Amino acid sequence: MRKKATTIYLGPQHPGITGNMMVRLEVEGDTVVKATTHVGYLHRGFEKLMERRNWLQSFTIVCRICVPEPDPNEENYARAVEEIEGREVPERAKYIRVLVLELSRIQAYLLWYGGQAASTGLYTMGQWSIGDRNYILDLFEDLTGGRVYHMYIWPGGVRRDLPKGFKDKAFRVMDYLEKRLDDYDRLMFDNAIFQKRTQGIGVIDPEKAIEWGVVGPPLRACGIRSDVRIDEPYEVYDKLKFEVPAFKGGDVWTRALIRRFEIRQSINIVRQVLEQMPSGEYYNKIPNPHKWALPPGEAFVKTESARGEFAYYVVSDGSTHPRRVHVKGPAYVHAITLLENLLVGQNIADVSVIMNSLGTCPPEIER
Amino acid sequence: MEKENILIEQIKQKFGDKVELKIQRNKRVIAKTNKDTIEQLLLYEKEKLGYIHLAHISCVDWIEDNKFELVYITWSPKDKINILNKIYINRDNPVAPNIDYIWRQANTYEREIREMFGIEFDGLVGEREFILEDWKDIPPMRKDFDTLSYVKRTYFTRPGREDAQDVRETIANRTGEEIPEFAKKYTR
Repeated sequence: MRKKATTIYLGPQHPGITGNMMVRLEVEGDTVVKATTHVGYLHRGFEKLMERRNWLQSFTIVCRICVPEPDPNEENYARAVEEIEGREVPERAKYIRVLVLELSRIQAYLLWYGGQAASTGLYTMGQWSIGDRNYILDLFEDLTGGRVYHMYIWPGGVRRDLPKGFKDKAFRVMDYLEKRLDDYDRLMFDNAIFQKRTQGIGVIDPEKAIEWGVVGPPLRACGIRSDVRIDEPYEVYDKLKFEVPAFKGGDVWTRALIRRFEIRQSINIVRQVLEQMPSGEYYNKIPNPHKWALPPGEAFVKTESARGEFAYYVVSDGSTHPRRVHVKGPAYVHAITLLENLLVGQNIADVSVIMNSLGTCPPEIER
Repeated sequence: MEKENILIEQIKQKFGDKVELKIQRNKRVIAKTNKDTIEQLLLYEKEKLGYIHLAHISCVDWIEDNKFELVYITWSPKDKINILNKIYINRDNPVAPNIDYIWRQANTYEREIREMFGIEFDGLVGEREFILEDWKDIPPMRKDFDTLSYVKRTYFTRPGREDAQDVRETIANRTGEEIPEFAKKYTR
Protein backbone atom coordinates (compact mmCIF):
# COMPACT_ATOMS: atom_id res chain seq x y z
CA MET A 1 0.00 0.00 0.00
CA ARG A 2 1.34 3.44 -0.93
CA LYS A 3 1.79 5.77 2.01
CA LYS A 4 0.30 9.22 1.82
CA ALA A 5 2.86 11.91 1.06
CA THR A 6 3.19 14.79 3.52
CA THR A 7 4.47 18.21 2.53
CA ILE A 8 7.18 19.83 4.63
CA TYR A 9 8.37 23.38 4.09
CA LEU A 10 12.06 23.55 4.90
CA GLY A 11 13.06 27.15 5.30
CA PRO A 12 13.38 30.00 4.36
CA GLN A 13 15.62 29.96 7.45
CA HIS A 14 17.32 26.67 8.18
CA PRO A 15 20.77 25.24 8.88
CA GLY A 16 21.43 23.87 5.40
CA ILE A 17 22.43 27.14 3.81
CA THR A 18 23.81 30.63 4.22
CA GLY A 19 20.92 32.88 3.29
CA ASN A 20 17.22 32.40 2.81
CA MET A 21 15.76 29.79 0.55
CA MET A 22 12.85 27.42 0.92
CA VAL A 23 12.69 23.82 -0.19
CA ARG A 24 9.28 22.21 -0.36
CA LEU A 25 9.70 18.54 0.44
CA GLU A 26 7.11 15.89 -0.19
CA VAL A 27 7.89 13.00 2.11
CA GLU A 28 6.62 9.49 2.64
CA GLY A 29 7.61 8.51 6.14
CA ASP A 30 11.17 9.80 6.41
CA THR A 31 11.94 9.59 2.72
CA VAL A 32 11.84 12.52 0.34
CA VAL A 33 9.86 11.74 -2.81
CA LYS A 34 9.90 15.20 -4.35
CA ALA A 35 11.79 18.41 -3.66
CA THR A 36 11.12 21.85 -5.12
CA THR A 37 13.33 24.86 -4.52
CA HIS A 38 11.67 28.21 -3.96
CA VAL A 39 13.68 31.40 -4.07
CA GLY A 40 12.61 35.02 -3.85
CA TYR A 41 13.39 35.90 -0.25
CA LEU A 42 16.58 37.79 -1.03
CA HIS A 43 16.06 39.51 -4.34
CA ARG A 44 17.75 42.91 -4.19
CA GLY A 45 17.83 43.76 -7.88
CA PHE A 46 21.59 44.35 -8.01
CA GLU A 47 21.80 43.73 -11.75
CA LYS A 48 19.15 46.39 -12.38
CA LEU A 49 20.78 48.78 -9.91
CA MET A 50 24.08 48.49 -11.75
CA GLU A 51 22.49 49.65 -14.99
CA ARG A 52 21.69 52.95 -13.24
CA ARG A 53 25.16 53.46 -11.79
CA ASN A 54 28.46 54.27 -13.43
CA TRP A 55 31.25 51.74 -13.82
CA LEU A 56 32.91 52.64 -10.55
CA GLN A 57 29.73 52.91 -8.49
CA SER A 58 28.72 49.42 -9.61
CA PHE A 59 31.92 48.07 -8.13
CA THR A 60 30.66 48.83 -4.61
CA ILE A 61 27.59 46.68 -5.20
CA VAL A 62 29.07 43.51 -6.64
CA CYS A 63 30.69 42.27 -3.44
CA ARG A 64 27.28 42.19 -1.76
CA ILE A 65 26.02 39.58 -4.19
CA CYS A 66 27.51 36.71 -2.20
CA VAL A 67 27.82 37.07 1.55
CA PRO A 68 30.07 34.14 2.46
CA GLU A 69 32.53 34.83 -0.33
CA PRO A 70 32.40 38.35 -1.82
CA ASP A 71 35.88 38.57 -3.37
CA PRO A 72 35.36 36.46 -6.52
CA ASN A 73 32.60 38.93 -7.44
CA GLU A 74 34.93 41.91 -7.12
CA GLU A 75 37.68 40.20 -9.06
CA ASN A 76 35.30 39.06 -11.82
CA TYR A 77 33.76 42.49 -12.22
CA ALA A 78 37.13 44.24 -12.22
CA ARG A 79 38.58 41.81 -14.78
CA ALA A 80 35.52 42.11 -17.03
CA VAL A 81 35.79 45.91 -17.03
CA GLU A 82 39.53 45.72 -17.70
CA GLU A 83 38.97 43.27 -20.56
CA ILE A 84 36.40 45.52 -22.24
CA GLU A 85 38.56 48.61 -21.81
CA GLY A 86 41.90 46.91 -22.47
CA ARG A 87 43.34 48.30 -19.25
CA GLU A 88 46.61 46.84 -17.99
CA VAL A 89 46.91 45.78 -14.36
CA PRO A 90 50.25 46.06 -12.53
CA GLU A 91 51.93 42.77 -11.68
CA ARG A 92 51.92 43.49 -7.96
CA ALA A 93 48.15 44.09 -8.04
CA LYS A 94 47.65 40.69 -9.66
CA TYR A 95 49.58 39.01 -6.84
CA ILE A 96 47.60 40.91 -4.22
CA ARG A 97 44.38 39.87 -5.95
CA VAL A 98 45.38 36.21 -5.80
CA LEU A 99 46.28 36.66 -2.15
CA VAL A 100 42.82 38.06 -1.40
CA LEU A 101 41.08 35.36 -3.45
CA GLU A 102 42.92 32.57 -1.68
CA LEU A 103 42.39 34.05 1.79
CA SER A 104 38.75 34.32 0.81
CA ARG A 105 38.72 30.68 -0.24
CA ILE A 106 40.23 29.63 3.10
CA GLN A 107 37.66 31.60 5.11
CA ALA A 108 34.84 30.21 2.95
CA TYR A 109 36.06 26.67 3.61
CA LEU A 110 36.32 27.38 7.33
CA LEU A 111 32.71 28.55 7.24
CA TRP A 112 31.81 25.42 5.31
CA TYR A 113 33.58 23.24 7.95
CA GLY A 114 31.24 24.73 10.55
CA GLY A 115 28.11 24.30 8.46
CA GLN A 116 28.86 20.81 7.24
CA ALA A 117 29.78 19.53 10.69
CA ALA A 118 26.80 21.22 12.35
CA SER A 119 24.43 19.61 9.84
CA THR A 120 25.57 16.22 11.19
CA GLY A 121 25.35 17.35 14.82
CA LEU A 122 29.04 18.18 15.45
CA TYR A 123 28.61 21.66 16.87
CA THR A 124 32.10 21.95 18.36
CA MET A 125 33.61 21.97 14.89
CA GLY A 126 31.73 25.14 13.98
CA GLN A 127 32.87 26.91 17.14
CA TRP A 128 36.49 26.11 16.29
CA SER A 129 36.51 26.82 12.59
CA ILE A 130 34.48 30.02 12.78
CA GLY A 131 36.72 31.18 15.63
CA ASP A 132 39.77 30.51 13.46
CA ARG A 133 38.09 32.19 10.49
CA ASN A 134 38.24 35.39 12.50
CA TYR A 135 42.02 35.41 12.12
CA ILE A 136 41.55 35.58 8.35
CA LEU A 137 38.96 38.32 8.80
CA ASP A 138 41.53 40.20 10.92
CA LEU A 139 43.92 40.01 7.98
CA PHE A 140 41.21 41.35 5.71
CA GLU A 141 40.55 44.18 8.11
CA ASP A 142 44.24 45.12 8.13
CA LEU A 143 44.41 44.95 4.36
CA THR A 144 41.10 46.40 3.22
CA GLY A 145 39.42 47.99 6.24
CA GLY A 146 36.47 45.59 6.04
CA ARG A 147 36.00 42.17 7.54
CA VAL A 148 33.30 40.64 5.33
CA TYR A 149 32.76 43.06 2.42
CA HIS A 150 36.05 44.45 1.22
CA MET A 151 35.46 46.63 -1.85
CA TYR A 152 39.15 46.19 -2.46
CA ILE A 153 39.73 44.65 -5.89
CA TRP A 154 38.63 47.34 -8.33
CA PRO A 155 39.14 48.04 -12.02
CA GLY A 156 42.80 48.90 -12.56
CA GLY A 157 44.25 47.03 -9.60
CA VAL A 158 43.61 47.07 -5.88
CA ARG A 159 42.75 49.98 -3.62
CA ARG A 160 45.68 49.90 -1.20
CA ASP A 161 49.10 48.38 -0.89
CA LEU A 162 49.89 45.80 1.81
CA PRO A 163 50.11 47.52 5.20
CA LYS A 164 53.29 47.42 7.25
CA GLY A 165 53.84 44.09 8.99
CA PHE A 166 51.10 42.36 6.97
CA LYS A 167 53.37 39.72 5.47
CA ASP A 168 54.66 38.52 8.84
CA LYS A 169 51.18 38.40 10.28
CA ALA A 170 49.83 36.49 7.29
CA PHE A 171 52.64 33.92 7.53
CA ARG A 172 51.91 33.45 11.24
CA VAL A 173 48.17 32.97 10.59
CA MET A 174 48.92 30.42 7.85
CA ASP A 175 51.25 28.47 10.17
CA TYR A 176 48.62 28.49 12.88
CA LEU A 177 45.83 27.36 10.55
CA GLU A 178 47.92 24.54 9.12
CA LYS A 179 48.40 23.12 12.61
CA ARG A 180 44.73 23.55 13.39
CA LEU A 181 43.70 21.52 10.33
CA ASP A 182 45.06 18.39 12.06
CA ASP A 183 42.75 19.07 14.98
CA TYR A 184 39.87 19.46 12.55
CA ASP A 185 40.72 16.09 11.02
CA ARG A 186 40.59 14.40 14.39
CA LEU A 187 37.33 16.06 15.33
CA MET A 188 35.50 15.80 12.02
CA PHE A 189 37.00 13.38 9.53
CA ASP A 190 37.97 10.72 12.09
CA ASN A 191 34.55 10.89 13.66
CA ALA A 192 32.50 7.74 13.03
CA ILE A 193 29.22 9.67 13.08
CA PHE A 194 30.44 12.12 10.44
CA GLN A 195 31.67 9.27 8.25
CA LYS A 196 28.43 7.34 8.53
CA ARG A 197 26.29 10.40 7.90
CA THR A 198 28.20 11.42 4.76
CA GLN A 199 29.43 8.30 2.99
CA GLY A 200 27.18 7.18 0.15
CA ILE A 201 24.85 10.17 0.63
CA GLY A 202 23.87 12.54 -2.18
CA VAL A 203 25.82 10.76 -4.91
CA ILE A 204 26.24 12.65 -8.21
CA ASP A 205 26.57 10.51 -11.33
CA PRO A 206 30.07 11.26 -12.69
CA GLU A 207 28.95 10.49 -16.27
CA LYS A 208 26.38 13.26 -16.16
CA ALA A 209 28.05 15.77 -13.83
CA ILE A 210 29.43 18.20 -16.43
CA GLU A 211 26.28 18.01 -18.51
CA TRP A 212 24.16 18.80 -15.47
CA GLY A 213 26.20 21.94 -14.88
CA VAL A 214 28.01 20.79 -11.74
CA VAL A 215 31.14 22.84 -11.02
CA GLY A 216 33.80 23.22 -8.34
CA PRO A 217 34.37 20.77 -5.47
CA PRO A 218 31.23 18.68 -6.26
CA LEU A 219 32.56 18.13 -9.80
CA ARG A 220 36.08 17.28 -8.61
CA ALA A 221 34.50 14.83 -6.17
CA CYS A 222 33.19 12.97 -9.25
CA GLY A 223 36.78 12.35 -10.33
CA ILE A 224 36.84 15.16 -12.91
CA ARG A 225 39.81 17.51 -12.53
CA SER A 226 38.23 20.77 -13.59
CA ASP A 227 39.18 24.11 -12.08
CA VAL A 228 39.17 27.55 -13.70
CA ARG A 229 42.56 28.19 -12.12
CA ILE A 230 44.13 25.51 -14.34
CA ASP A 231 41.68 25.42 -17.25
CA GLU A 232 41.92 29.12 -17.96
CA PRO A 233 44.52 30.63 -15.60
CA TYR A 234 43.73 34.21 -14.63
CA GLU A 235 45.78 36.79 -12.72
CA VAL A 236 49.03 34.95 -11.80
CA TYR A 237 47.78 31.41 -11.21
CA ASP A 238 49.95 30.14 -14.06
CA LYS A 239 53.05 31.19 -12.09
CA LEU A 240 52.07 29.35 -8.90
CA LYS A 241 52.47 25.71 -7.97
CA PHE A 242 49.42 23.96 -6.59
CA GLU A 243 47.54 20.75 -7.02
CA VAL A 244 43.90 20.38 -7.93
CA PRO A 245 42.49 17.22 -6.40
CA ALA A 246 40.00 14.90 -8.07
CA PHE A 247 38.66 11.96 -6.07
CA LYS A 248 36.18 9.34 -7.17
CA GLY A 249 33.01 8.83 -5.18
CA GLY A 250 30.65 11.70 -5.85
CA ASP A 251 29.09 11.62 -2.38
CA VAL A 252 29.08 14.13 0.48
CA TRP A 253 32.14 12.46 2.06
CA THR A 254 34.22 12.84 -1.11
CA ARG A 255 33.19 16.46 -1.45
CA ALA A 256 34.34 17.02 2.12
CA LEU A 257 37.69 15.35 1.36
CA ILE A 258 38.17 17.59 -1.67
CA ARG A 259 37.72 20.69 0.48
CA ARG A 260 39.99 19.26 3.17
CA PHE A 261 42.69 18.86 0.53
CA GLU A 262 42.10 22.23 -1.11
CA ILE A 263 42.31 24.32 2.03
CA ARG A 264 45.89 23.06 2.45
CA GLN A 265 46.65 23.98 -1.14
CA SER A 266 45.27 27.46 -0.58
CA ILE A 267 47.52 27.94 2.44
CA ASN A 268 50.48 27.03 0.23
CA ILE A 269 49.34 29.43 -2.48
CA VAL A 270 49.12 32.27 0.06
CA ARG A 271 52.69 31.53 1.16
CA GLN A 272 53.96 31.45 -2.43
CA VAL A 273 52.21 34.71 -3.26
CA LEU A 274 53.68 36.45 -0.23
CA GLU A 275 57.17 35.20 -1.11
CA GLN A 276 57.05 35.92 -4.85
CA MET A 277 55.19 39.25 -4.76
CA PRO A 278 57.13 41.85 -6.76
CA SER A 279 57.43 45.45 -5.68
CA GLY A 280 55.99 48.29 -7.72
CA GLU A 281 52.68 49.92 -8.49
CA TYR A 282 49.47 48.37 -7.25
CA TYR A 283 46.97 50.51 -9.18
CA ASN A 284 46.60 51.73 -12.75
CA LYS A 285 44.56 54.86 -12.18
CA ILE A 286 41.21 55.18 -13.92
CA PRO A 287 40.01 58.53 -15.31
CA ASN A 288 37.34 60.68 -13.65
CA PRO A 289 34.70 58.05 -12.81
CA HIS A 290 31.79 60.31 -13.75
CA LYS A 291 33.11 60.68 -17.28
CA TRP A 292 34.65 57.24 -17.57
CA ALA A 293 33.04 55.58 -20.59
CA LEU A 294 34.07 52.12 -21.72
CA PRO A 295 34.23 51.22 -25.42
CA PRO A 296 31.36 49.07 -26.72
CA GLY A 297 32.04 45.42 -26.10
CA GLU A 298 31.37 42.44 -23.93
CA ALA A 299 33.28 40.09 -21.67
CA PHE A 300 32.55 36.70 -20.18
CA VAL A 301 34.93 36.13 -17.29
CA LYS A 302 35.19 33.32 -14.76
CA THR A 303 36.81 32.79 -11.39
CA GLU A 304 37.14 29.64 -9.32
CA SER A 305 35.37 30.42 -6.07
CA ALA A 306 35.25 28.06 -3.09
CA ARG A 307 32.00 26.66 -4.44
CA GLY A 308 32.97 26.48 -8.10
CA GLU A 309 33.00 28.51 -11.27
CA PHE A 310 31.75 32.06 -10.71
CA ALA A 311 31.04 33.87 -13.96
CA TYR A 312 30.19 37.41 -15.03
CA TYR A 313 28.79 38.43 -18.38
CA VAL A 314 29.28 42.18 -18.76
CA VAL A 315 28.12 44.23 -21.76
CA SER A 316 29.10 47.83 -22.51
CA ASP A 317 27.32 50.02 -25.06
CA GLY A 318 30.00 52.70 -25.01
CA SER A 319 28.45 54.78 -22.24
CA THR A 320 29.45 55.59 -18.67
CA HIS A 321 27.06 52.93 -17.32
CA PRO A 322 27.01 49.17 -17.80
CA ARG A 323 24.47 47.96 -20.35
CA ARG A 324 24.15 44.63 -18.61
CA VAL A 325 25.93 42.82 -15.80
CA HIS A 326 24.77 39.23 -15.46
CA VAL A 327 26.09 37.15 -12.60
CA LYS A 328 26.17 33.39 -12.56
CA GLY A 329 27.14 31.72 -9.33
CA PRO A 330 27.58 27.98 -8.88
CA ALA A 331 24.49 27.77 -6.64
CA TYR A 332 22.31 28.75 -9.58
CA VAL A 333 22.56 25.18 -10.79
CA HIS A 334 23.57 23.40 -7.57
CA ALA A 335 20.68 24.66 -5.45
CA ILE A 336 17.91 24.23 -7.99
CA THR A 337 18.07 21.52 -10.65
CA LEU A 338 20.86 19.49 -9.03
CA LEU A 339 19.51 19.68 -5.49
CA GLU A 340 15.93 18.89 -6.52
CA ASN A 341 17.17 15.70 -8.19
CA LEU A 342 19.68 14.66 -5.51
CA LEU A 343 17.19 14.93 -2.66
CA VAL A 344 14.75 12.38 -4.10
CA GLY A 345 15.02 9.14 -2.14
CA GLN A 346 17.04 10.67 0.68
CA ASN A 347 16.18 10.83 4.35
CA ILE A 348 14.83 14.16 5.68
CA ALA A 349 17.75 14.35 8.11
CA ASP A 350 20.21 14.26 5.21
CA VAL A 351 18.70 17.20 3.35
CA SER A 352 20.78 19.85 5.08
CA VAL A 353 23.90 17.62 4.89
CA ILE A 354 23.54 17.47 1.11
CA MET A 355 22.76 21.18 0.81
CA ASN A 356 25.88 22.11 2.72
CA SER A 357 28.04 19.79 0.68
CA LEU A 358 26.88 21.50 -2.54
CA GLY A 359 27.70 24.94 -1.15
CA THR A 360 24.17 26.23 -1.52
CA CYS A 361 24.15 30.03 -1.48
CA PRO A 362 20.81 31.67 -2.38
CA PRO A 363 22.08 35.30 -2.59
CA GLU A 364 23.85 34.50 -5.83
CA ILE A 365 20.72 32.89 -7.31
CA GLU A 366 18.70 36.04 -6.84
CA ARG A 367 21.27 38.85 -7.04
CA MET B 1 44.22 30.09 -31.31
CA GLU B 2 44.59 26.79 -33.16
CA LYS B 3 41.74 25.08 -31.37
CA GLU B 4 39.47 28.07 -31.92
CA ASN B 5 40.18 28.02 -35.68
CA ILE B 6 39.46 24.29 -35.92
CA LEU B 7 36.20 24.82 -34.04
CA ILE B 8 35.15 27.63 -36.37
CA GLU B 9 35.92 25.46 -39.41
CA GLN B 10 33.82 22.60 -38.02
CA ILE B 11 30.80 24.83 -37.37
CA LYS B 12 31.19 26.53 -40.78
CA GLN B 13 31.22 23.20 -42.58
CA LYS B 14 28.01 22.13 -40.91
CA PHE B 15 26.02 25.38 -40.94
CA GLY B 16 27.58 27.50 -43.71
CA ASP B 17 26.19 31.04 -43.79
CA LYS B 18 23.59 30.42 -41.12
CA VAL B 19 26.13 31.06 -38.37
CA GLU B 20 28.39 34.09 -38.22
CA LEU B 21 31.58 33.21 -36.35
CA LYS B 22 34.29 35.28 -34.73
CA ILE B 23 37.15 34.71 -32.30
CA GLN B 24 36.71 37.27 -29.54
CA ARG B 25 39.92 36.40 -27.75
CA ASN B 26 41.82 33.36 -26.53
CA LYS B 27 39.25 30.71 -25.42
CA ARG B 28 36.23 32.79 -26.46
CA VAL B 29 34.32 32.28 -29.71
CA ILE B 30 31.19 34.21 -30.68
CA ALA B 31 28.61 32.46 -32.88
CA LYS B 32 25.71 34.60 -34.08
CA THR B 33 22.73 32.85 -35.57
CA ASN B 34 18.94 33.07 -35.74
CA LYS B 35 16.28 31.50 -33.59
CA ASP B 36 15.46 28.79 -36.14
CA THR B 37 19.03 27.48 -36.11
CA ILE B 38 19.99 27.89 -32.44
CA GLU B 39 18.61 24.52 -31.31
CA GLN B 40 20.45 22.63 -34.04
CA LEU B 41 23.62 24.59 -33.34
CA LEU B 42 23.53 23.87 -29.60
CA LEU B 43 22.71 20.20 -30.20
CA TYR B 44 25.57 19.95 -32.70
CA GLU B 45 27.99 21.56 -30.25
CA LYS B 46 26.87 19.25 -27.47
CA GLU B 47 26.62 15.95 -29.35
CA LYS B 48 29.40 16.27 -31.92
CA LEU B 49 31.91 18.84 -30.72
CA GLY B 50 32.01 17.97 -27.03
CA TYR B 51 30.62 21.26 -25.71
CA ILE B 52 28.62 19.41 -23.09
CA HIS B 53 28.51 22.09 -20.40
CA LEU B 54 26.00 24.93 -20.50
CA ALA B 55 27.72 27.66 -18.52
CA HIS B 56 25.15 30.43 -18.77
CA ILE B 57 22.14 31.88 -20.56
CA SER B 58 21.97 35.64 -20.55
CA CYS B 59 19.72 38.27 -22.04
CA VAL B 60 20.42 41.87 -23.04
CA ASP B 61 17.72 44.40 -23.90
CA TRP B 62 18.64 46.54 -26.95
CA ILE B 63 15.61 48.80 -26.80
CA GLU B 64 16.98 51.18 -29.46
CA ASP B 65 17.02 48.38 -32.04
CA ASN B 66 13.77 46.87 -30.69
CA LYS B 67 15.57 43.59 -30.03
CA PHE B 68 16.44 41.20 -27.24
CA GLU B 69 19.78 39.45 -27.44
CA LEU B 70 19.89 35.95 -25.98
CA VAL B 71 23.34 34.54 -25.25
CA TYR B 72 23.83 30.81 -24.67
CA ILE B 73 27.31 30.13 -23.34
CA THR B 74 28.66 26.60 -23.73
CA TRP B 75 31.96 25.13 -22.62
CA SER B 76 33.99 22.09 -23.56
CA PRO B 77 36.00 20.23 -20.89
CA LYS B 78 38.38 19.09 -23.65
CA ASP B 79 39.01 22.32 -25.58
CA LYS B 80 38.42 24.61 -22.52
CA ILE B 81 36.76 27.11 -24.86
CA ASN B 82 33.57 29.06 -24.19
CA ILE B 83 31.27 29.65 -27.17
CA LEU B 84 28.92 32.60 -26.88
CA ASN B 85 25.98 31.55 -29.07
CA LYS B 86 23.76 34.53 -29.80
CA ILE B 87 20.34 35.10 -31.24
CA TYR B 88 18.32 38.29 -31.63
CA ILE B 89 14.56 38.25 -31.21
CA ASN B 90 11.97 40.88 -31.86
CA ARG B 91 11.00 42.89 -28.83
CA ASP B 92 7.34 43.23 -29.85
CA ASN B 93 6.64 39.51 -29.82
CA PRO B 94 9.51 37.95 -27.88
CA VAL B 95 9.40 34.20 -28.35
CA ALA B 96 12.46 31.95 -28.26
CA PRO B 97 12.90 28.19 -28.57
CA ASN B 98 13.02 26.21 -25.34
CA ILE B 99 16.23 24.21 -24.88
CA ASP B 100 15.67 22.52 -21.52
CA TYR B 101 15.50 19.14 -23.27
CA ILE B 102 19.17 19.65 -24.22
CA TRP B 103 20.31 20.80 -20.77
CA ARG B 104 17.86 20.45 -17.91
CA GLN B 105 19.39 23.40 -16.00
CA ALA B 106 18.39 25.64 -18.91
CA ASN B 107 14.90 25.48 -17.42
CA THR B 108 15.96 27.71 -14.50
CA TYR B 109 17.62 30.29 -16.75
CA GLU B 110 14.61 30.39 -19.04
CA ARG B 111 12.18 30.79 -16.17
CA GLU B 112 14.20 33.73 -14.88
CA ILE B 113 14.45 35.38 -18.31
CA ARG B 114 10.72 34.85 -18.83
CA GLU B 115 10.00 36.60 -15.57
CA MET B 116 12.59 39.39 -15.81
CA PHE B 117 12.37 40.19 -19.55
CA GLY B 118 8.98 38.79 -20.51
CA ILE B 119 10.40 36.47 -23.18
CA GLU B 120 8.30 33.38 -23.80
CA PHE B 121 10.02 30.07 -24.47
CA ASP B 122 8.08 27.61 -26.61
CA GLY B 123 6.79 24.80 -24.40
CA LEU B 124 8.62 25.82 -21.23
CA VAL B 125 7.22 24.02 -18.20
CA GLY B 126 7.70 25.47 -14.72
CA GLU B 127 5.99 27.82 -12.32
CA ARG B 128 5.68 31.31 -13.73
CA GLU B 129 6.74 32.92 -10.49
CA PHE B 130 10.43 32.39 -9.89
CA ILE B 131 11.86 35.28 -7.90
CA LEU B 132 9.18 37.97 -8.00
CA GLU B 133 5.90 37.63 -6.16
CA ASP B 134 2.56 38.99 -7.43
CA TRP B 135 4.33 41.13 -10.04
CA LYS B 136 1.81 43.17 -12.04
CA ASP B 137 4.12 45.69 -13.75
CA ILE B 138 6.14 45.24 -16.96
CA PRO B 139 9.06 42.80 -16.57
CA PRO B 140 11.57 44.67 -14.40
CA MET B 141 14.82 43.98 -16.26
CA ARG B 142 13.51 45.62 -19.43
CA LYS B 143 15.13 48.94 -20.16
CA ASP B 144 11.80 50.77 -20.30
CA PHE B 145 10.99 49.79 -16.72
CA ASP B 146 11.56 52.97 -14.73
CA THR B 147 12.72 52.04 -11.24
CA LEU B 148 12.29 55.55 -9.83
CA SER B 149 8.69 55.98 -10.94
CA TYR B 150 7.89 52.46 -9.72
CA VAL B 151 9.25 53.29 -6.29
CA LYS B 152 7.26 56.55 -6.21
CA ARG B 153 4.08 54.71 -7.23
CA THR B 154 4.51 51.78 -4.90
CA TYR B 155 6.05 53.08 -1.72
CA PHE B 156 4.97 56.03 0.34
CA THR B 157 6.17 57.97 3.34
CA ARG B 158 4.48 56.89 6.52
CA PRO B 159 1.97 59.54 7.64
CA GLY B 160 3.67 61.83 10.11
CA ARG B 161 7.10 61.21 8.59
CA GLU B 162 6.84 63.57 5.60
CA ASP B 163 9.29 66.05 7.06
CA ALA B 164 11.10 63.47 9.24
CA GLN B 165 9.54 64.93 12.38
CA ASP B 166 9.18 63.00 15.59
CA VAL B 167 6.25 60.59 15.40
CA ARG B 168 5.38 61.15 19.06
CA GLU B 169 4.95 64.86 18.43
CA THR B 170 2.62 64.22 15.49
CA ILE B 171 0.54 61.82 17.51
CA ALA B 172 0.48 64.24 20.42
CA ASN B 173 -0.65 67.06 18.12
CA ARG B 174 -3.34 64.90 16.60
CA THR B 175 -4.75 63.43 19.78
CA GLY B 176 -3.92 66.18 22.25
CA GLU B 177 -1.94 63.75 24.41
CA GLU B 178 0.64 65.06 26.81
CA ILE B 179 4.18 63.99 26.04
CA PRO B 180 5.78 62.87 29.29
CA GLU B 181 8.57 65.08 30.60
CA PHE B 182 11.25 62.41 30.21
CA ALA B 183 10.42 61.97 26.50
CA LYS B 184 10.42 65.68 25.69
CA LYS B 185 14.17 65.98 25.75
CA TYR B 186 14.41 63.70 22.70
CA THR B 187 12.06 65.82 20.60
CA ARG B 188 13.48 68.48 18.33
